[in-house]
Amino acid sequence: MASELELVDIQAGYGRAAPVLRGLSVSVEAGTIVCLVGPNGAGKSTVLKVASGLLKPRSGRILVRGVDVTGQGPQQMLASGVAHVLQGHSVFREMTVAENVLLGGYTLRDRSVLAKRVEFVKEVFPVVADRWNSLAGLLSGGQQKQVEFARSLMVNPRVVLLDEPSMGLDPKATATVFDQVVRMRDAGTAVLLVEQNARRALETADVGCVLDLGRVHLSGPASDLLADPRLGELYLGGRPTVPQPPARR
Amino acid sequence: MPSGALLLQSVVLGLLLGGLYALLAAGLTLYFGILRVVMIAHSAFLILAAYLAWWSHTRLGVDPLLSLVVSVPLFFCIGVGLQRLLLARLRPATLTMMSVLLTFAIAVLIEGLLGYAFTGTQRRIQLGYGAASIGFFGARIAVVKLIAFGLAAVALLTLYLLLKKTTFGWALRATIQHRDAARLVGIDTDRVAGFGFGIGLATAAVGGTALSLDTTIYPSLHWHWIGPLMAIIVVGGLGSVPGAAAAAMLLGLLQSLLQIPMGTTWAQTVFYLALFATLAFRPQGFFGGRLAQRF
Repeated sequence: MASELELVDIQAGYGRAAPVLRGLSVSVEAGTIVCLVGPNGAGKSTVLKVASGLLKPRSGRILVRGVDVTGQGPQQMLASGVAHVLQGHSVFREMTVAENVLLGGYTLRDRSVLAKRVEFVKEVFPVVADRWNSLAGLLSGGQQKQVEFARSLMVNPRVVLLDEPSMGLDPKATATVFDQVVRMRDAGTAVLLVEQNARRALETADVGCVLDLGRVHLSGPASDLLADPRLGELYLGGRPTVPQPPARR
Repeated sequence: MPSGALLLQSVVLGLLLGGLYALLAAGLTLYFGILRVVMIAHSAFLILAAYLAWWSHTRLGVDPLLSLVVSVPLFFCIGVGLQRLLLARLRPATLTMMSVLLTFAIAVLIEGLLGYAFTGTQRRIQLGYGAASIGFFGARIAVVKLIAFGLAAVALLTLYLLLKKTTFGWALRATIQHRDAARLVGIDTDRVAGFGFGIGLATAAVGGTALSLDTTIYPSLHWHWIGPLMAIIVVGGLGSVPGAAAAAMLLGLLQSLLQIPMGTTWAQTVFYLALFATLAFRPQGFFGGRLAQRF
């Protein structure tokens, strides 16, 4: 059975600069969370941009449920069931929560479907219902992130790409956001997650991929990666094995 | 000490002038909001619309307001074409600076074409109701100023409803606020930006026609307008339509009141003083800010 989303041997970059992704391959199955971890500049966010059509790959293939969608833009990718929540805050700050959420259903033409989706996201994200008429830019960071999640779920996507959803959030808001990620997975959605908080992300994810220099350096069950001492040293705040210089007196 | 009637007259004329400024500045701030484009040619299109109104009145013998039937859709199409064929090709990194140069060239081109077609002679529409005025508590208000204000008010209200109540308006506002996020909800941001630019230029058609009712026009008149309009959108907060409207009303009123003690020429300096004050103390604009309610 074909994966919900599959990137095969992707080369991609910005402008005429050297490629950021150099032969990257990754796939996401329905009802699973795949987490990409790695150092800054490894190309994690670029993977998501390629997958959502914001950035066209220089070579390689993108498959959605086995169908080749390489080179398609965000509109077509959304129609294929791929939604992307950007890094940082990407709510339309000067629009209300209602306008933000309804714009999530911009491509839905059937008003009854739109109304049902609104009811669904209001139920899943209580903050959406509570702050329906508030300006989105006035919400806290965690609330804004939930509005972004709600907006992305308006089209009932089969794949959700999440770029550092906990960035800049306090621990309580981070916990709420990760709870929502798990709920998406439990609802059968395929989630491709990029997260700086690698330990937290791997504790939540089913599969982990370690990116380095634009390639998948290491991959496997997230629990195995968590237990891998090499990964612990590099990305999870473990004790470095490189000898430290003596303290200055 | 000016009389009460003179003060009232100045206040009313200031508000009417402010309304017209608001419309003229709305288009300008829309361009900046959509694409970070500084559209120097906006006032040149304004004068072009005024010439179209003058031409249709003197040559075809129709009321200048009827020229709107042609100029509004024409300017909309020119705006879409301008954005899609020229401005969209500029590199994002240098877009704002290059747009100044490009639209400056367009302004000079329009001025040259107007001079070629109509010579540099000053023109003025002579309307049957041009000299009519109505009394208002001792003040006399010219009917053409009321018509110009009415046109500006209707155009601004239409713009507001379009942006606030239609799906296209939502898409345009989303494109202005976060282009990538707008693309990710399925909005064709290039197309929306093109239409937004067209709407901005259509406001110039309305503004120019309103201007022609009560102003002597000549090809280089646009240089007289671009400074105050730029000052208005900076004071109002770049990209903020309500900010531009509020700044326009305030500065129009101040200009009108200052004309009593200082005369017409010196009263014009209020725009530049407001511009300097804004850049010195609140560069994001007095009515804008991080959470400017743009529409």
